[in-house]
Amino acid sequence: MKPGAPEVHPTHPKVTDPYSNIGGKSETEWGDVERGFAESDYVREDRFESHLRTHGYLEPHVTLAHWEGDKLNVWTSSMGAFVKRAKLARTLDLPYSAVRIHKTYVGGTFGGKIDLYSHEYCAARLSMITGRPVRIVASREEIFSAFRHGQPLAMEIKTGVRKDGTIVAQRIRVINNSGGFRGSGVVVIFLAWGFTMIPYRIPNLRYEGFSVYTNHPVRAPQRGHGAPQIRFAIESQLDRIAEDLGIDPITIRLRNARLPGERLPNGDNVHNAGLVECIRIAAGKSGFLEKYGRDRRSPPQGTIRRGIGIGVSAYMGGTLIYPNGSAVIVKMNDDGSAIVLTGAIDIGQGAETVISQIVAEELAIGMDDVKIISSDTDATPQDIGAWISGMTYVTGNAARQAAGNARDKLIAVASERLGVPVGDLAAKDKVVYSTRDPSARMTYREVIAASVATRRGDTVIGEGYWRTMRDEPNHPSLATTKGRWTENYAFSAQVAEVEVDIETGEARLVKALTVHDCGFPVNPALVKGQIDGQISMALGHAFMEEVMTKDGYTLNPNWLDYRMPTIHNMAVSEDADVITEQYRVGQPYRTKEVGEGLVSGILAAMANAVYDATGVRLNSTPFSAEKILYGLKALEFEQKRSQPKETVGA
Amino acid sequence: MILFDFELERPDTAADAVAMLARLRGDARLLAGGTDLVPNMRAELVRPGVLVSLAAVAPAAPETLSDGRLRVDALSRLADLERSSAVCAHAPMLAESARAVGGNQVREMGTLGGNLCQESRCLYYNQRHDYQFAAPCYKLGGERCYPFPTNKRDTCWSVHMSDVAPALVALGAELEVLGEAGPRRIPAEELFSGNGLAPIALDAAELIRAVIVPAPAPRSGWGFHKSTVRGGLEFGMAVMAVMLALADDGKTCASARVAIGAVRERPVRAPAAERLLAGAALDDARLAEAAAAAAKEVNPLPHHGFTRRYLMDNIRVHLRRTLALALDRARGARA
Repeated sequence: MKPGAPEVHPTHPKVTDPYSNIGGKSETEWGDVERGFAESDYVREDRFESHLRTHGYLEPHVTLAHWEGDKLNVWTSSMGAFVKRAKLARTLDLPYSAVRIHKTYVGGTFGGKIDLYSHEYCAARLSMITGRPVRIVASREEIFSAFRHGQPLAMEIKTGVRKDGTIVAQRIRVINNSGGFRGSGVVVIFLAWGFTMIPYRIPNLRYEGFSVYTNHPVRAPQRGHGAPQIRFAIESQLDRIAEDLGIDPITIRLRNARLPGERLPNGDNVHNAGLVECIRIAAGKSGFLEKYGRDRRSPPQGTIRRGIGIGVSAYMGGTLIYPNGSAVIVKMNDDGSAIVLTGAIDIGQGAETVISQIVAEELAIGMDDVKIISSDTDATPQDIGAWISGMTYVTGNAARQAAGNARDKLIAVASERLGVPVGDLAAKDKVVYSTRDPSARMTYREVIAASVATRRGDTVIGEGYWRTMRDEPNHPSLATTKGRWTENYAFSAQVAEVEVDIETGEARLVKALTVHDCGFPVNPALVKGQIDGQISMALGHAFMEEVMTKDGYTLNPNWLDYRMPTIHNMAVSEDADVITEQYRVGQPYRTKEVGEGLVSGILAAMANAVYDATGVRLNSTPFSAEKILYGLKALEFEQKRSQPKETVGA
Repeated sequence: MILFDFELERPDTAADAVAMLARLRGDARLLAGGTDLVPNMRAELVRPGVLVSLAAVAPAAPETLSDGRLRVDALSRLADLERSSAVCAHAPMLAESARAVGGNQVREMGTLGGNLCQESRCLYYNQRHDYQFAAPCYKLGGERCYPFPTNKRDTCWSVHMSDVAPALVALGAELEVLGEAGPRRIPAEELFSGNGLAPIALDAAELIRAVIVPAPAPRSGWGFHKSTVRGGLEFGMAVMAVMLALADDGKTCASARVAIGAVRERPVRAPAAERLLAGAALDDARLAEAAAAAAKEVNPLPHHGFTRRYLMDNIRVHLRRTLALALDRARGARA
């Protein structure tokens, strides 16, 4: 990055800074930051770093490609069939219609399977050359050493506040060690801005993000995509500011938290944001203020210290990026059951379950009456994919609309046959009936038969389409951050309780509390699964996982030396919903993200809890035993030095 | 996937296996549980032409000999040691150290002898070398040491990570080694060469047949601790095993054996620490002093991302606690 440093690639032509190796820059500003600092009662600057981690999907990358002369059939472990098709067709210079991405069940991705990978191109190309099916499976060692990891960020944060902790101005510089190519390195520096501006009001902000080419493997998005890193930094600094000002961690967060209806700097609205309630409930349910500082004030016997910390996060869902929208088709069978065609891919998050639930609800049929055909670029309609935290919102609303469209057709036919106005008809258990005279009724089977008989053979098919913010042209600019994002902002407050052995620095997460506003939990069990999975992932991030490298090569390309948590490391994970939206049949609804943002607040909460237990502030992840121990020793040394020397002979 | 061809032999007896090894010399490797050898073959760290499988040699159950010693067949699975009432009653530290190894599947397959004879480990060594770190290191017959570039050709600081070995060293166990000339007995410590290039000091035509654990001394107690990051499914950051025996007065230490694993090319004794313990009246201060001495004298090698400084601190604290646990047991204050 240093001006004049040897170039991995030339700096992007639009970047005017004098640095070397800049693959891209995100930059934005509002208010007057310098005046904000001048008007602040207290200003502090800190620098934070995050380390290299990887996704840890259990199913390796695997692709089977079969060229049939004019058609390329591909089965690949992915996060969205349509985005894969677009990238593969463009790379191979084939029409989209010549590439078919088939459905596969996916054994975990966490962001690591979004991009088009070289093995996918190679399998396709080799099959086109040989005319034979070609299958490529990556070994775990290859995944660790030659595929893509997450993004380590360095973050410099200067914040000015009033005496009461209200944020006045913030200047943030984020530097991403992005590896040998752009990858999604230019996306994460843009997103880190987003995760900065959502949860708290910042009247004056200047943000710069640099994505820097390095001699490292290329990076991919990883669950949270910038949020865990930047929230760790901001929430750590906020706790320090609070302490410096004599304010508790809850009060300072409540003072800055976005309120419902607030407009964000990018023009979006947070609508029914539940952040204030999330913080209040998290504080109350965890007994935060009773516990906070307890072991530092009166250290208990023994070597174990317990600490509590809080972190706040927010996440957007269903944002505009190719292919921007989803469509769903619901085909009614003669017996009143339904077949749903959706491009959605189930990567373990339960997409098919949620879409089935919505279709069943809208059509007043049972879940058993819904069959899903999904994620096939030839057979199903276009879908946004499982990678911008919006499937329940975008594809779900398309499914709701498609099922509603089919229901409306059923009711229209029944209305004609029964002579009952549409407004007096309702549907329940595969029957359309008159709400005034329930004996006037037709089963779906009868309605569909009537439709075929009286409408020139029309069977009943519903169509639905959805995308966020229909009037917005495109996704925002990564370089300038201009442009709107979404209608859906999820908020959360998470509390961590940790135990630290002060003799060895060994630390563990004992208890996690997640209070989140995901809008409306369509499937609470799946929401709970997402929360627990994110707690597990975050505690691995905090205490265990690190891709160790030497000169860009991976030193620990295996599960043995890249330590993901086992079930024995899992902490007690409690949660509470703050429900801010409702689901009503026939009405558009707004669900919010819940599948990746919750790795963020809890990471910050763990850092703050380690501080609460020990007095050690960690400015970098992971929170290794070694860092904590030497932090403790440094504190001890400081204390000894600052104590007045005993007067001899007094 | 193993990407090279090899023969598989399956002799009926241990003696036949030895004869086969003698005939094949360096081209053969013994296969017991395979939990160390097979991954190393996948990574092509070893490319034996012949695997001599011991699958047909059934292990004898652990038995207590008439003189009070315990004899454990080297082909016993690690999980069998945990489950053996003879081992649990007679050498509970051996059972605990076996339980510390890997995960369930590894312990069901891995054998006692195999665990002792495992290869030493290093992040640079334990991976395939087809596109990174491709030039072979000293241990692979090459011309460099990646982690310690100034090391000479005869020095390899890979660490031996057996959890069971330090326990056996602390227990004063002996190994029954079978060679062409018949069986011989060596102290467990002598199995290890101390050189990471070839950590196991057995002849190519020798195998470990059994482990003999002496009868515990009266008023003795043991302590075992494996420092890890996640508490399972991993090799140790440092492994500590101690055996303390008290004199008739119940206070003075009659003998002490302290062994540390996973931080050197072999499990190491801590003689300075043992001298501080033996003959002394043991109190917290003395245990702390001994643990600090051990941390210093074993001079841990930085390995797997852990610094020498932190390993010393970790050993100093956990060894002190492990000694305290052993002392409690020697006093009969805990099981």
